[in-house]
Amino acid sequence: MTTMNTPLTKDKAETGRSSKIKRHPAWTALLFFLPVILLLVLLIAWPLLSVLLQGFQYVSLVDPLAGGFAGLDNFRFVFEDEGFLPALWNTFVWTGLSVSGEYILGLVSALALFQPVKGRAIFRGIIVIPWVIPIVVAGLNWIWLLNPDYGIINSWLVDIGWLEQKRDWVGSIDTSLLTVTFVNIWRSFPFYTIALLAALMAVPKDLHEAAALDGAGAVRRFWVITMPELKAVSTVLIVVHIISTAINFDFIWVMTQGGPLNASETLPIMIYKYAMQDFDIGAASALASMTMSILAVGFIIYFYSLKRRRGN
Amino acid sequence: MVITKKVRTFQTVFTYLVLLSFAVYCLFPFLWMLDTALKPPVEVMVAKPTFLIKAPTLANFRHVLVDSAFMTYFRNSIIVAVFTTLLTVTLGVFASYALSRWSQLKLTKAVSGALLVSQMIPGVLLLVPLYILMRNLGLLSTYAALIIVYCTFMVPLVIFMLKGFFDGIPRELEEAADVDGCSRLGYIFRILIPVSIPGILATSVFAFIAAWNEFMFGYVLINDDARRTLTPGILIFKGAHQTDWASLTAASVMAVLPVAIGFIFLQRYLVEGLSAGAVKG
Repeated sequence: MTTMNTPLTKDKAETGRSSKIKRHPAWTALLFFLPVILLLVLLIAWPLLSVLLQGFQYVSLVDPLAGGFAGLDNFRFVFEDEGFLPALWNTFVWTGLSVSGEYILGLVSALALFQPVKGRAIFRGIIVIPWVIPIVVAGLNWIWLLNPDYGIINSWLVDIGWLEQKRDWVGSIDTSLLTVTFVNIWRSFPFYTIALLAALMAVPKDLHEAAALDGAGAVRRFWVITMPELKAVSTVLIVVHIISTAINFDFIWVMTQGGPLNASETLPIMIYKYAMQDFDIGAASALASMTMSILAVGFIIYFYSLKRRRGN
Repeated sequence: MVITKKVRTFQTVFTYLVLLSFAVYCLFPFLWMLDTALKPPVEVMVAKPTFLIKAPTLANFRHVLVDSAFMTYFRNSIIVAVFTTLLTVTLGVFASYALSRWSQLKLTKAVSGALLVSQMIPGVLLLVPLYILMRNLGLLSTYAALIIVYCTFMVPLVIFMLKGFFDGIPRELEEAADVDGCSRLGYIFRILIPVSIPGILATSVFAFIAAWNEFMFGYVLINDDARRTLTPGILIFKGAHQTDWASLTAASVMAVLPVAIGFIFLQRYLVEGLSAGAVKG
């Protein structure tokens, strides 16, 4: 309690008043936070702990007799699963391609929206649309657009001669993951647009004008003034999206369920299948812990490099 | 200025070309969805589809509304999204008031850190324990399960969005209210909330859209068709073998409608609020 009392007196000194509640801001604050703290503990902290623990136990969703300490059995089971390494590779491909594609489209669209032309607001509204609709609707609608028999995109591609015959984009082993990635980019890039546009608006105008007077061309101004100003936002955007893409379940599940023949299976899909199809909670928890560790290691490297760069 | 008129015209034309390509890229799938939904099934299943509709019809919409569980799913989604929004924003108002008002307290800093960290923890990794938790509480296939889970995963972002609005309100307002004998709750309900209505409204729309669009937890925590929400419901529409695309697109159009209306209504607030949140991370 001593820790809470120190700022209490400070707060009182700041306002210089002493009504009843203000003497105990820590308690009032605790009361206001309480429901949120309860939710975080019960639905995030505790489940997180149980995932980490259950990775070392035999647990089954349907067989109550299964139990006991499993040591590293679950981890060995996951490693020896033929699907594990391909799924890990798919997760890297899916995340890397999605985030780079989203960033490029987001940057180009933000730069275009930043130009002083009429009707910008309308274009901004249109560009944000894919991001607002449910993933299920986006995924199913693209399956329909790419349908091998009746899809309009196949029909057009054949008409203009880019394709000899219609292809099953979603359902073929060699294209399924790339197709889902393409659709994910389509739906997710508008968020980058909004964030980068906001950052562009924050760049001081006179910086550009001064550089232009000094004879710097548009391309040079972009690399010397605009990009450095976007660096902070870009880093946050990319880090946040690497996480949210790597653990995304919805898109792949809706469009391919990890198929055909596990060609588009990523780690989250594997976790789901272990738990909800094989009912093997131990293996699902082991894989979830490993995924979390990979993300955590990535995070630590990111923060470490950030710190070192700042130190220099 | 340095830029000549010719260069400027070229820039404008080029900008419009880029913006138009993006508009087509973003809009085309929706237009095709709407187009398919308005076609009779015989015109949908053709090898050379066109935008032209020979006999436009609303039969697909009627079919979805009358002959399927769509209305049940829709109602369930409304219930879940509305109660999630109410709960999340209510908890969020109090928590972000405390965050904004007592930012110096150690407790506040701890809560703020916990919120940031929990925002980073992906739901799919907690899917299994949350499923087991809801099963043990007897909440599987109930609205409560979804409302509680959605609230937990949304409340950090909602708190940070609201805090952004509350931080902008001058402290003198509360001091003046205190001098006039207004209690803290009185201040929150009579002054803070009315003053921040635009921000609270924008945050609410954001929470509603997020709850409406959520798929994974709805898919896993609800096994009863009577309680199923719209997003998993639509996936079930897509039969295992032959998909009725005319009905599916009609259902999709109606599923997007509430989100689209909410979004158009508050586009500006939402874009500003989101970009503020995005810049802060």
